[in-house]
Formats: sequence, structure tokens, C-alpha cells
Amino acid sequence: MDEDLFYWQAVNIALDRAMEEDPDVFVMGEDVGLYGGTYRATENLMAKYGELRVRDTPISENSFTGLGVGAAMTGLRPVIEIMTVNFALLALDSIVNLAAKIPFMSGGQFPVPLTIRMPGGVAKQLGAQHSQRLEHTLMNVPGLRIAVPFTPQDAYGQLRQAIRSDDPIIVLEHDLLYFSKGAVDLDAKAPPMHRAIVRRPGTDITCAAYSLMVAEALAAAETLKESGISMEVIDLRSLSPIDWNCLQQSVEKTHHMIIAEEDSGFAGAGAELAATVQERCFYSLDAPVSRVAGMNIPIPFNAALESAAIPHAADIVLAARKMLLERSQTS
Amino acid sequence: MKHPILMPVLSDTMATGRLTQWVKSIGAKVSKGDAVAEVETDKAVLEVEAFSDGYLAGPLAPVDQDIPVKQVIGYLADTAEEAASAGQTAPADPAPASEAPPVSPPPKPSLPAEPFPTPPVAAEPSPAAPAEPVPVPQAFPGGPSEGHAASPYARALAFDLGIDMAQVVPGPDGKVQAPEIVAALIAPAQPPLNYGPPYRLEAPTKSREAVARTMMAASATPSFRVTARLPIRELQHQAASRQVSLTVALSKACAFTIQAYPRFNAVWTNGGLALRDRIDVGIAVEAQDSLITPVLRDAGGKSLADLQSAWKDLLSQTKSARLGPKDYSGATFYLSNLGVYPVVRQFDAVVPLGASAILAVAAMDSDGSAECTLTCDHRVVFGADAAHFLTHLASQLATPDSLW
Repeated sequence: MDEDLFYWQAVNIALDRAMEEDPDVFVMGEDVGLYGGTYRATENLMAKYGELRVRDTPISENSFTGLGVGAAMTGLRPVIEIMTVNFALLALDSIVNLAAKIPFMSGGQFPVPLTIRMPGGVAKQLGAQHSQRLEHTLMNVPGLRIAVPFTPQDAYGQLRQAIRSDDPIIVLEHDLLYFSKGAVDLDAKAPPMHRAIVRRPGTDITCAAYSLMVAEALAAAETLKESGISMEVIDLRSLSPIDWNCLQQSVEKTHHMIIAEEDSGFAGAGAELAATVQERCFYSLDAPVSRVAGMNIPIPFNAALESAAIPHAADIVLAARKMLLERSQTS
Repeated sequence: MKHPILMPVLSDTMATGRLTQWVKSIGAKVSKGDAVAEVETDKAVLEVEAFSDGYLAGPLAPVDQDIPVKQVIGYLADTAEEAASAGQTAPADPAPASEAPPVSPPPKPSLPAEPFPTPPVAAEPSPAAPAEPVPVPQAFPGGPSEGHAASPYARALAFDLGIDMAQVVPGPDGKVQAPEIVAALIAPAQPPLNYGPPYRLEAPTKSREAVARTMMAASATPSFRVTARLPIRELQHQAASRQVSLTVALSKACAFTIQAYPRFNAVWTNGGLALRDRIDVGIAVEAQDSLITPVLRDAGGKSLADLQSAWKDLLSQTKSARLGPKDYSGATFYLSNLGVYPVVRQFDAVVPLGASAILAVAAMDSDGSAECTLTCDHRVVFGADAAHFLTHLASQLATPDSLW
């Protein structure tokens, strides 16, 4: 039974159902209780489950994230909301040194079934300090798993899986996706959390994207169709681990690859993707892997500059055309 | 200030040009519009003009090498001192082999005789093809030393298909990617030279390359031939008395016949038949070890006197290799006249792309007629059309008075 839901509603229902099913699940973060969450993701949960299981915290990311790690070690299943990924920088000690390390350093005696949700992306004129994308930082931490849901269906399904998992899992949402809408089947069996999905099949070029960039890639694919270019769009869904088999299958078919990422290209997720794809698919590649990424600058506040600093569908179209149609005469 | 001179884009199809000579030497004062160098494109030799006043400055690109369009080939300096102090060697790029001095280098030697490069995977399709989908790298024929940069996939594909990378023509960017391998695969087979006598390779001229390319493209046209004996003595007689070339007079007669059978002015395209009103007759001419087809524009509308004067201009430009694309492209009908060779009794020609028919005219017999063969694109005109055309042309030639 599909219903059209906003992304935030899908998150909200996932939390509601998880709390309903398992009394060990609780939600903690800034403004998650009375206010119902900055993006309404925890709306009505406090009324339904009470202050004990929906806990408002002071502005103290490292402390409440650490609290979450401790609670997870004792067997609870905390869902921490960090208001934006930018504030996760304050919580890095709890995330990197505690959540990611304790299961390993305790020889598995202390699993950390912790879920940390946070939006991470360029929204609308929030300024450089509130527009960061920190997936590269988190991807470089062994022991963390990172889900990047694009559709409301995945926002629901992957969050449910994250809460049920015994591993510490980051769920990176996107500010601009909360009010996107899509069909959600709450009873559908979700694919494994790390499995990539081909959102649009194609034969000429592969575009790997995640989170909001999947929308740009799909729009680009539609434009490219007019030029006779068939672009396959892969929604990675997970940045750690990455579904390499899906990428490999696609590149062995298309022989061309573009990576679309909102984050700065330098040492970003796309760098890891490009490196591993060439390791696995070198003899299938007919052109160098192309990264369409954010500029390597702090995101400007000015709306025009902000938009120019991150990739859009037109940039992906340009990269694909350059790779396939307009092989330059000088380069 | 030094301002770069770029390899000009002289036609739609021009991807590279070859400098045939630098007309000016380094330090020479040039005025805007002066020719500083000559470039051989795929059809003609054209001049590179100075875009402003100044002094020619190095480094100058070497002659007799293919240079991509828009690449820097030299510089114009504002002052003589700058021109003198500037480097004398060729610009960094064109290839390490550019040790030739920039001005008047030794004539380009033919490529040395060498055994035909044989790929490790010889012609016979290897039955022991690698079982794995991804072949092992060391098995690939050649590395960077073997010609052009190639994508990994292109090399893997060439390996699987048994294509010798040395035979592959690179793409517009000078690199070999999968499309180039596919092109090599469907290209006509190379002649087997391995066991024959030793041979030298001579690089084809640009124009020979262009002819080869267009003839290959034209060979896909489904064509048929109809031969007729046409009376041309009277036309030849009248043309001579009016000092008009027989070829021009024949063009005019053909144009009048096309007016009666306008299908012969159409051409097949993927979108449908392209119908044209103006009749532009392309005439095959021998030119510097090659073939070119100067076009008489509006052969139906212009007077014979006008056509004759246009023809004279075209011929002199052909002799000096100064024909541009506007002079040799876009004909709607072609004429090939070998009548000046009395031994030629009959021949036929290939219909060039862009037209539907070409008339091949052999030498005149003692009875005053010549074997003429009309080769036609069967998608556009049929056998009966050709018969009508030749019948009409025969009567046109028998009584040529209406042409004048």
C-alpha cells in the first residue's frame, strides 16, 4: 500500500514505528521534543512516548552524542538527531573515538547500536558554516556505516534498518529533501541498507550519485536523452560500505563514468569512487572517470554564488557531452 | 607583447592542418593581411594572414606536420626586438620529433622501410582467447610507445578483436577510444604486405586522404550505369568557334537536360529527397597528384560566356592549389570528361556524395560520337529515368544552338 509522503514524514513514521515496536528505542537531540524537530522529523513523538523516550538536550553535541554511545553500550537503541552535519564537528570525539572504536576495542563485547541522523548539504543561504557536507570526514572513519537516502521510501526503510542494526550508523539526510515527496510502501521489504539502486537504466554512460544529487542526475539523464545519450543513474544509497558490484556492472556496460557529488571534489566521496572504479574496471573504461563536484571553496552566502559553487543537472549534462560527443581537439 | 598565431580553421571538416612553408622568417616585418605561412588543408593550400601589423616571432611550428586547429603555430611581436629575442624553436607540443629547424627544414623523408608491425595477437583469431572477461594487462599489444594514447577499454577491445593498435586512426582529440576501434573493425581490410617485397610507406597528401575518404563514403551508394553513344561533334565544333571549352559546353547541355528531368538534381538524405532548383555542376579535374571537383555554379541559369570565365578562374585557382571549400563543394551533378585522351573509349565514374548522377564522357569516335556513361544513385532515379536523360541529352548535343 503506497502512499505519497514527504521525506520528513517518512522519517517521522520510521521513528514512530521503531519506538512502538521496541521500548529500547529512544530519540535525543536539540529541539526534538517540544518543538518536534527542525524539519518536523520528530513531530508528535514526545506527546506519544513522553519525555523519557524523546529527550530534548542542551546545545552540547559532544555530550549528548556521548550519552547516546553510553546508552547504546548498555543495550538501548538511541536515535540521536544532530541538527545539521555542521554541528557534528563538535561531536566528532564521541562519533570517531567512541562510537566507531568501542565495538572494535572491546573485542565485540560492547556493540554500539547507535543511529545518528543529521541533514548534510547545501540548503538555501545558510552560510559557509551551515552548508558543509562532511561525508568525506565520516567515510574516512572505519567502523561507521553511512546511509544517504534519496527517496522518502529509503528515508523510511534505511532508518528502520539503521535502528535495528547493532552497528553505529550515520544517516545523512539533506535539508532540501525533507519536503520532497514520493511514494512510500511502509510494508515493503527493503533492500540491504548498503545496496545501490539503478534509478534509471542506460547504456552509454554511468552517473553515480547520492542524496540530492540523484535528482540532478535524473534531470541530466532526461536532457541527455534528447542528444541521443542514454545515461544510467545509480543511487548509491550508502557511502560506507559502497556497493561496488553495482557500479562495476554498470561501467562494464557503459564504459564511461561520471560521479556527481555536492561535496567539494578534493579528497571527497567522488575521489574514493573514482579510485576504486578504476581499480576494478580499468580495462572497461573508455575515458577517464569524470567528477562533477562542488567547488573547493567555503559555500558563499550570496545566492547566485552559492548556486554556482555546487553542481547542477546542466553540469552533469556538460560533462557527459564532453565525454561522449565533444572530444576536444586539443586536450 | 607577443600575440599567438593559431592554426586557422579553414573548413568545416578541418581538424588538423599541415604547414607547407613559412612565407616570412623570424624578425620579418609584416603588415595586417600579409601572408606569413601556407597551410595545406584537406583540399587546398591556403594562406595564414597576419591579423595585425608586427614582426614575426618564434617559436614557429615545424612544417610538414599535422597540427590541430587552433593550436599556436607562431607569434606576432609588437617590436623587432621582441621578435628577435623570442625563442627560435618549435612550440612545445607538436612531438618530440620536431627537431627540424623552424624555417625551411629538410624535405620530409618517406617513412623508412620496416617490417609491417605485427601484433602479438596475429591475424588468426586466437582460439585460446582469455577466459576471463577482463584480459590481463601484459597481454596487450604495445604500450605508450605504440602510437597514440588509447583508453584502457580501447586497448582491451582491440586485443579481443585482434586489431593492431598501430593501424587504428585516432579520434579528433588524437586519442584512441572505443569508437576508433570499432571504426578500424569495420574499415576495409588492410592489404597483406607481410610476405611481399620490402616496401616504403609514403604519407598521403591531405587531398589524397580527402579523396580516399569521400570515395569510401560514396562507395555505399547503390548505383547503376547506363551507357549511350552521344553525338558531340557539333557541340565541339560550335564550342571551339566560340572559344568555349567543350567541358563547359557539356555542363551547360547537362544542366538543360536536368531542367527537363529535375530528379537528377535531387539527392537522397536520411530525411528524404533534397530537391534543389539551382544546378551546380562539379567537374572532375586532375590536380597535383590528386583529384578535385571545381563547381560551376548555376550552370542552368548563367550564359556560356559567364560559365567559361568562371571556369577559367577555377582552373587557375586549381593550378595554384588555391581552391577553397566554396569552390569545390556542393555540386548537384557531376561531369567527368576523359575525352582529351583519344584512347579512352568508355569508362564510368563514382557518384560523389551530394549528387545523384555523374556523366563520364569518353573520347570522340571518327563518327563524331562518344560513349557516355551515366552512373546514378538508384534511390533517386531509375533506369528509365537515365534512358530519358540520355535521350534528351543526345538531342541537345545534336542541335546545340539553343545552348548559346
